[in-house]
Amino acid sequence: MTRPADPGAVAAPSPPELRDLLADALALWEVEGRVRIEADGLRLGPALRVTPALPAEHPVRWWVERPGMQGKGQRRPCTSVLGLLRTLRNALGAETGEARRLRVARPEG
Amino acid sequence: MIPVTVVTGFLGAGKSTLLRRVLRDPVWADSAVIVNEFGEVPLDHDLIAVSEERFVSASTGCLCCLARDDLARTLLDLARQRASGEVPAYARVLVETSGLADPAPILHALMQDAALGATHALAGVVTLVDAAQGEAALARHPEARRQVMLADRILVTKPDLAAPPEAAIRALNPTAPLRAAVQGAAEPGWLLAPAPPPGQLPDLLAALQADAVARHTPGLGAIAIEREAPLPALALTLWLQGLAEHAGPRLLRLKGLVALAECPERPAVLHAIQHLVHPLDWLEAWPGGERRSRIVLIGERIPRHFPARLLAAVEAEVAGEAARR
Repeated sequence: MTRPADPGAVAAPSPPELRDLLADALALWEVEGRVRIEADGLRLGPALRVTPALPAEHPVRWWVERPGMQGKGQRRPCTSVLGLLRTLRNALGAETGEARRLRVARPEG
Repeated sequence: MIPVTVVTGFLGAGKSTLLRRVLRDPVWADSAVIVNEFGEVPLDHDLIAVSEERFVSASTGCLCCLARDDLARTLLDLARQRASGEVPAYARVLVETSGLADPAPILHALMQDAALGATHALAGVVTLVDAAQGEAALARHPEARRQVMLADRILVTKPDLAAPPEAAIRALNPTAPLRAAVQGAAEPGWLLAPAPPPGQLPDLLAALQADAVARHTPGLGAIAIEREAPLPALALTLWLQGLAEHAGPRLLRLKGLVALAECPERPAVLHAIQHLVHPLDWLEAWPGGERRSRIVLIGERIPRHFPARLLAAVEAEVAGEAARR
């Protein structure tokens, strides 16, 4: 999971940055487990993998995979960091956060 | 004797907003202000917009724990400078405690320090209670309860958002006069008038002092983020959404001055209380000309680097999308 040569192509956190963010997220969700960097992505605990999407798969940025029995695993696309966090939180069975829509706008006038 | 009014209230109750309003009133503008902030980056000075000469920031800790002696020293230093003409004459001092302060040790310092007692008199304790979040804060945080118990006057803020939690307040302080105000629009004459003689205050202080249990909620901490480069509005939006979703009720307070890439010449004032993010306020110019985003979060058991790492990640994402277009 290397950062693309053109950071504008699929800009995303580097693997160590993503590992650190996800490790903090696990602590925040009070989920035990480690985040490890592997050759093809990140592994969370024994069951979950996060792999970067190919540039051609845009707007997908990551895939969250949960290997299943007899090849019947689940594979979910994530198009953003917030989407990735939400998908992982759900997959880990942590208490669900409340998604909110906000808008930050420039001053009127 | 210089009257000293202690303005307290839990995180996000609106203390800075109230002070800003009070100091805009010419009748009360001749006040010195001491602000105690919980966090590494002092912000309240800029948020209150009070003159430099009459402002003292006692930051980086909680006044009630760390700076009891500092408060006495600060008040005496200020009085000395007032007497020598180094600072403009002021008629009173307003002490804004951090939202996490237990006022009891502060009042002890004001009442028991001999040097302070010769020059200063406690005029009263004004406690702000947020109508929307106050009841939960009173139930959950011992600091919030103590702030109400010790109040001479109670101002319920944001009554336009929710009904005042009067029963919860009265259970803690049955006698203090209580009013409500929107956006700090309280009558300063009522707020800052000398309190009636607090017959029971010494007893109450002694009882609170003896109760050493859980003066502070465990796990509370302040996290500061500073940025030189302006933030795209979308990155700020996504970051706030992510914090609200994942830190949820653990995020007690967030405030900051932010340079947005879309309007970097004017600082955006950011306020959030738990998951409630207030609409941005905009200052006309950067205080002191320092164009740098400064955000302070106060939360319970939030991993120290999570907010900054999340911000970096969404910034990278937003920059990447912008570059694709």
